[in-house]
Amino acid sequence: MIRNPLLRAWTALIGLSLGSTLISLWQWPPGFAAGAGMLVLSFAWLKARVILSSYLRLDAAPFWRRGFAISLGVFCLLLLGLYLLPGLL
Amino acid sequence: MSDASVFDELPGDLMIWVLIVSELLVFGAGLAAFLAVRAGDPAGFGAAQDALYRTGAGVNTVVLVTSGALAAWALRLREDARRGAARLALVAAALLGVVFLLIKGFEFAGKAAQGIGWDTHPFFTFYYLLTGFHAAHVVAGALVLLLVAWKDTPRNIEAGAAFWHMVDLVWVILFPVIYLLR
Repeated sequence: MIRNPLLRAWTALIGLSLGSTLISLWQWPPGFAAGAGMLVLSFAWLKARVILSSYLRLDAAPFWRRGFAISLGVFCLLLLGLYLLPGLL
Repeated sequence: MSDASVFDELPGDLMIWVLIVSELLVFGAGLAAFLAVRAGDPAGFGAAQDALYRTGAGVNTVVLVTSGALAAWALRLREDARRGAARLALVAAALLGVVFLLIKGFEFAGKAAQGIGWDTHPFFTFYYLLTGFHAAHVVAGALVLLLVAWKDTPRNIEAGAAFWHMVDLVWVILFPVIYLLR
């Protein structure tokens, strides 16, 4: 367990970045591509939350941390909807 | 809770948060427009995206989040009155910004060598616009980091580092949308 919060945040960001790159490089069967996209966008949301909480110190401002998390979550859902739109048309 | 206390809760100057939200809205609108246009031509966007170097962009993500960690660390060092170490961390963060720009420059040069320009396909119009605009912010951010390493009051470092984290924040959303979503 990493005790330093900054080092923990950096480790999480590296792990999530490498994870999303690996997911994208993997040759997914056509039926799983949407799921992979969902994972990639979920990782992006998590990375944004880590930067806001730890690097920008919103962990000391729970009202704003929650507000940013919800707003970015809604935005990522919008991006996911637009990403999945061609399959629905 | 009064309005004043809610705003007082924000770390750093209110104006830097106004800037962060403004930049997120601008890049957010660009990324939403990118995916909306893609919905009309997913195959063409997919083929164009395959010309990108995903691993290089992944390395650049590692470079930028590491640089962000150094900028955040610099503020904590300065608050502990370790001015020399804080300045070194800020210069190192700025140098990693330069590394990001060099990798980005190689990427752009590679596209130019392949004859790929902003008007080759709508994908590349968005690609050059969004990643180029972000790279311009990296240039500005690296200069700001050097400036606050020189004028190193804790308040200056907090504002400079916050600008740099905004650049980081935009990239962690821009990178998967442009490079990774297939």
